[in-house]
Amino acid sequence: MKLAYYPGCSLHSTGIEYDISTKRVCEKLGIELVEIKDWICCGSTPAHQRDDLMSIALPAKNLAQVRETGDMKEVCAPCASCYSRLKFAQQRLADDALRKDVEMIIDAKYPGDLIVYHMLDVITEKFGVEAVAQRTTRSLNGLKVACYYGCLMTRPPKVTGKGQFENPTQMESLIQALGGVGVDWNMKTFCCGAAFALTKTDVVLELTRKILADAESVGADVISVGCPLCHANLDGRQTQINAKFNTKFNIPIFYFTQLMGLALGIEPKDLGLHKHITEVGDFLKERALT
Amino acid sequence: MKVVKQQDIKLDSSFAEEIAKRSGENVFLCYQCKKCASGCPSRMFMDSTPTQLMRYAQLGMVDEAMKKNTIWYCVSCQTCSTRCPADIDIAHVIDTMRIIGQEKKLKADDNKLPLFNRLWMTMIRFMGRAYEPGLVGSLNFLSGKPTKDMALGMKMIKKGKLKLFPSFKKPFAMMKMFSRAKKLRK
Ligand code: SF4
Ligand code: SF4
Repeated sequence: MKLAYYPGCSLHSTGIEYDISTKRVCEKLGIELVEIKDWICCGSTPAHQRDDLMSIALPAKNLAQVRETGDMKEVCAPCASCYSRLKFAQQRLADDALRKDVEMIIDAKYPGDLIVYHMLDVITEKFGVEAVAQRTTRSLNGLKVACYYGCLMTRPPKVTGKGQFENPTQMESLIQALGGVGVDWNMKTFCCGAAFALTKTDVVLELTRKILADAESVGADVISVGCPLCHANLDGRQTQINAKFNTKFNIPIFYFTQLMGLALGIEPKDLGLHKHITEVGDFLKERALT
Repeated sequence: MKVVKQQDIKLDSSFAEEIAKRSGENVFLCYQCKKCASGCPSRMFMDSTPTQLMRYAQLGMVDEAMKKNTIWYCVSCQTCSTRCPADIDIAHVIDTMRIIGQEKKLKADDNKLPLFNRLWMTMIRFMGRAYEPGLVGSLNFLSGKPTKDMALGMKMIKKGKLKLFPSFKKPFAMMKMFSRAKKLRK
């Protein structure tokens, strides 16, 4: 299996361990990822909040670059926000007039025949959870995982094409294949406030607090995510939340690729697990996951 | 009993038309079911609900829509657009209102969001990719909170989660893209 790989800006900075673990896991599974040549920012939230035309042109440019990279027909993005912007662009570019304008802006032909996947879809739908289960060498040993999807992995369904968008379960089935248990909880598609991470931090602290509190109340050991922005909030803001709300959160936040990596026998340091702000070292030892 | 004389009520649909022209969304389809307001995670921070926003747009109450903090507190989570029984992409309508607000340089609650968006797009125009330390530094400096998130930032640097230097991806091609878009909009 060979796919064009769009890491996006976050995976080269705050979400670097998502990039590291995704590549290691795919290598282990025999999924070939070819990084899109000279990829640029997808524009993320600021583009669609400020400049409608560029919010379509920036992802379109990246899709056009797939042609320059190789003969791949499928693209995958680990970041939920990048994934969303690529999918939104594809949907809007079905309009001929807009497509002509965008092709003029990006100075390239827009390839209308690509299929865009989120990394989780590549694993659960294309590769298959049974195939992952067959390759595991270590069990997560009943680890109770709150699977957090956030907003953009599933919403809006008109764009993502997802059948289950209020209560998705694909990450739970993956966790089960790894020997863990996906807990039943309320906040799996609730927003963490990512778009306001740097501007309205109060909103982020409140929304993230709700997510952490719900995971804790149902007895989850860890939260599993598939987005660098969700991770930055859930992992990085716990100290600030504890200070503001007088709470004592210390919940390890893993990328689903890191949990896969552990079950596939990859060393924690090769999965970037030492890079989390909420430390997970002791937890891994306690659970015999190293 | 005080009797108020009936006044002529003038409804102005030019705001709704402007939204439709830019976004393709028809706000008149909203029948005020309040599903969008009920599920909005940011509702507790807003002066009015997304449902009210739709009504303001229908009635041409531009000031109510644009001058309250509501549009600046939408966190683009897509919950409302997903659930609307009238199939209105409410998040896109709100984005469109924000774009109009930014083009007209209307004052947004604390003006931080427009500032952030402007800095981000400038960064992409010159560098092609995001450079977080530069972005956060200039945002905090320009909004008068230079030490915001300092402790978290230092931790991230220690963990190797922030690039110390920006990378430039085809800056000239990027700038040309932006200027072609600008020409097209005129
Ligand atoms: S969900 Fe749709 S129809 Fe219902 S109030 Fe909101 S915009 Fe109107
Ligand atoms: S997209 Fe905006 S208005 Fe709609 S539910 Fe989310 S935060 Fe509220």
